[in-house]
Parts: sequence; C-alpha cells; structure tokens
Amino acid sequence: MVTENDLVRHLGEAQVSVELETEDMTLNIGPQHPSTHGVLRLVARVDGERAFDVKPVLGYMHRGYEKLSEVRTYPQITALINRIDWVSGYANEIPFIVAAEKLMGVEVPERAQYIRLILTEMARIASHFMFMASYPQELGALTPIMFALRERERVLDLIEGVTGGRFHPNFNRIGGVKPNAGSGPTTKKTPQDLPAGFLAETRDAMERVLVSCDDIEDLVAGNEIILARTKGIGILPPEVAAAYGMSGPSLRASGVNFDLRKAESYLPYDQVDFDVVVAETGDCWDRWWVRLQEIRESVKIVQQAVDQIPPSGPLQAKVPKVIKVPKGEVYVRAENPKGEMGYYIVSDGGAGPYRLKIRSASFSNLSILPWILEGALMPDIIAIMGSLDFVLGDVDR
Amino acid sequence: MTSSPSDTEAAAHPLQSFADHVAEAVGGTAEIQFDTIKLRVPADQWADALTTARDDLDLVFFSWLSAIDWANDVEVGDTLKEGVDERIELLCTVGDLTEGRRVTFSTDLSNDKPSVSSLVEVYAGANWHEREAAEMFGIVFKGHPNLDHLYLLDSFIGNPLRKSYPLLSREVKPWPGSVDVEAMPEKPSTENPGA
Repeated sequence: MVTENDLVRHLGEAQVSVELETEDMTLNIGPQHPSTHGVLRLVARVDGERAFDVKPVLGYMHRGYEKLSEVRTYPQITALINRIDWVSGYANEIPFIVAAEKLMGVEVPERAQYIRLILTEMARIASHFMFMASYPQELGALTPIMFALRERERVLDLIEGVTGGRFHPNFNRIGGVKPNAGSGPTTKKTPQDLPAGFLAETRDAMERVLVSCDDIEDLVAGNEIILARTKGIGILPPEVAAAYGMSGPSLRASGVNFDLRKAESYLPYDQVDFDVVVAETGDCWDRWWVRLQEIRESVKIVQQAVDQIPPSGPLQAKVPKVIKVPKGEVYVRAENPKGEMGYYIVSDGGAGPYRLKIRSASFSNLSILPWILEGALMPDIIAIMGSLDFVLGDVDR
Repeated sequence: MTSSPSDTEAAAHPLQSFADHVAEAVGGTAEIQFDTIKLRVPADQWADALTTARDDLDLVFFSWLSAIDWANDVEVGDTLKEGVDERIELLCTVGDLTEGRRVTFSTDLSNDKPSVSSLVEVYAGANWHEREAAEMFGIVFKGHPNLDHLYLLDSFIGNPLRKSYPLLSREVKPWPGSVDVEAMPEKPSTENPGA
C-alpha cells in the first residue's frame, strides 16, 4: 500500500528534467554589519539558484583618509592608518613609517626593527586567527571560533602589553618605536622598554598558537561538510588574480610564489628563516589552508626574532622634535596579513604630506567579486566571499 | 633599510639598468627616487605603455592607480613652497610576481578637463581604481564600462581630492591639533612655575 509519506518522499527524489523559464530576480544582499567584515552591499541578478552581474556597492565606511592626511602631520597620520584594516592595525603602520623614514634618511636601531618585526608577525597571527574563527562559522562550523579567538586574544594581549592598544596601537614613531606600557617611568637613565617578561611570554604564547593550529586543522580538515563546500569552489587562476591586483595569501593560494617579505626590505626578514606558503588550485579550501600554514610560518619568525633581538639598545633614532620630511616621492609596500599594503607619499618638505595615496589590500582583493561570483550558486557566494578575507575598513579607507 | 638621497643620485643604482630597460621598451623617461622607479609617458600613449609593460616586461601585477592634483592655490593643507605647472598627474603602479620589481607610470593631464584612455582592457583591476580616481579628481577614463561613483553618493557634486575642494569639517571648526606642530619651548618658563 502506498502511503502519503511514500508519495512525498517520491516527489522529493524526482528530478526536474525540463529547464523552466523563470524570470530573473534582482537580489539585494546587505548592507549589514556582521561585526568583522564591515558594511558591504551586493546587488545580484539571480536566475534560480545562480547569481549573475554581481555589483558590490561600496562607500558605507568611506572616511576619506587620503584627504584627511593632507591636513595632518606625519606623526598624526599613524593614528588614522591604524583604523584602515582594524583586524591587523599594527601592520598598517609599518609601510607608512618606513616610507617616511626613507624620505628622511633615518636609520632605525636594530632593536626597534626587531620589535616591529615581532609585532607585525603577531598582527598577522591575530588577523589569520580572525579568519580561522569566522570562516568555518560562516560555513556552519561553530567550534573552531572558540579555539581561534582564544589564541588570538592571547596574542592581542601581548600586543596590548607593549603598545597599550589592542586594535589601534599607534606605536611606531618615525625613527623607532615608543613602548607605552613599559616598565617604569621614562627618564634618561631608564627609558621605557618592552614590559618585563614580554619575550618569555611571547615564547609561551607561540607554543600555544601552534597547538591551537593543530586543533583547528583537526576540526576543519576533518569536517566533510566544510570540505564539500570549499574544495573546487571559487577557483581563481593566477593570471586573473594578478590582473585584478589580488595579493597576499589569496594570491599564493592560486600558486603564485610571491611574498613581499622576501621581495622588499622593509623589516629584517632576511635575518629569519621562513617559507612562503603556496597552494596549487586556488579554490576556497586553498585560501583557508594557506592562511593556516602562514600562522605556523609567522610563529617561526617570531620565535627566531625573540631569540635574535639585541638584549638592549636604543629604540629610537635621533630625529628632530618637529618632524619635517624632505621633498620627494616614495612608494613603500609591505606584505600585510591581507596582502600588499602600500603608501605613496608626495612630500613638499613640510610637516605633512602634500598627497598620500593609500594602497590597501582588501580593495583590490574585493574588486574581483564580480568576476569570481559570476554564475556562482547562492550558498557558494558566502563560501567565496568569506575565503577572500577582506575587511571593509581596508576597502573603503 | 633606508637610502639617503645621495644613493639615489648615484649612477650605479641597482635599479638603474632595469629602469633604462623599461624606458627603452615603453618610450618615456625614467627617474629613480628612493627605490621607486617613475616612468613618465605622454598621455596619448598611456594605455599603449601599460600594455607593453604587461606583455613585454612581465609586469602583470596591477598594484594601484591614482592621481595627484598639482595646484598652486589650495583650500586645505600646506601650499607648495615653489610654484608648479598646474595639472593632474595620473599614477599607476604595476609590478612583476617573480623578482619584486615595480614601476610607477606617470602622465600629465590637463587640470581643466582631464581625460585619458582607460586601462580596464589591459588590467581588469583598474576598474575600481579608475572609478575612484574619476570621482575624486574628475578624470574621464575613455572606454571605461561604468564610471559611476564608487564611494560617494550618486548625488554628490565635486571632486573631493582636488586641492580646490575644501575640507568641510575644517571650515566649521579649525583643527586644534595644529598647535602641536609648533616648536617646543627650550626650557620651562620660570616666570610662572605653577603653569
């Protein structure tokens, strides 16, 4: 006897063999603020379950930093650029400060350079952990966020201990660094330095980061749903990635062995030994995998830097009290957690730049959306967008 | 880490041969400032020069495109110390993905109605960068598929990164931080020890 339940089951298994003529629908996604990515709106033409002509609508977070920089002095600008990519605020400062130092011809003391190196890599670990937390969550796996955010907090605590700021350190000075929460008062005899025990705590934290990486890898790589939703999804060929200016881990996931930490010399990366992580396929899974491996490489860099840092020495080169940058133009770029971040400074010899162009990684990385989302299934839109790891503050500037 | 101006003036700059090579292939004049190669090309060869850079010089990575408004009268910020030819200078940086070489291409556009051919066909990534430059500087990119505003509202009038465009928050209230720029006194004043 055929029951009603059997009929329903049978209907569910029926394959639709005819192409139905359906009317296209315009679907508006966002604008919303899912806490980390920022406010982005997509307008897509939807045909059934597939999206076409995806148009990102930007500007909800545009703060006009390039214009504001024209009326600020160089030391004031670091406070602004902290807020571009707030997930890795510390790393934003480096290319700008190095660019200004290049124009001024200032030699930064070695100890200060190592502190910059340690904190930059910690910012990378924190940023990649944010991705390790949010990406599986967007795909429905809620456990990795617990591991990732716990370790990220440990790293951010260390950054906060040195700089006084968790997200917006504003820590670099032209010619060096200026610890905020150091040990003791600032006098000529005992200048502020790293907090006591910072290096030992850093070593300890790095060990825990590695353990957490293993935990996350077990949780995510062993999750068949995540594998099914990311492997072979959103494949990005290297030529397309390069033409769109895609940089950072997303570019290396497409098989391009290029890392500005090796190609440019803005921090003493030549003093430490680390590998550039490259994947092959360029799908969502590879973009996740590259970032996980990069955390491990960053741990390697931090561990070596902690061993190699000069035990004492000045943290600040001699610079005039009133910073004036000589006339000239310079472009300095750095490998930020999200990709190439650079600053083109046009100086007229004044206290502030005549023009400051901010090249942010997420802006170019996001501009590939119309290409990569063309014809994607609706659920894959989330998987693909999440895998690009952008921050809207870095897009809108 | 840092290079002094004298380094860049020396003939044996490590980037000099590459800069000459690019200048020869593309046509134009190259100068090196602080490890940044800037190649000036005429505006009518803009797209051709970048096509050559991509195809013949292997500069396949599109980094950024933007502009500088060289103006003698400025509404905000410091006035230039020496007068300049008023113009819009368009900049575009492209690089390779092997050696880490990069070149900043530059061309001068008229201040009045700046217009140049679009690079979207050469580097797909130029799309958004050109839209930003269009709304911020009023540059028309010929052949661009869609020059709508990128950040600004559709109804926004003006080109905010032009030097003639005032910073409205400054019009309402002067910046209190400007006092920080002045020189510190040599010694604390003894006349008013309590201050």
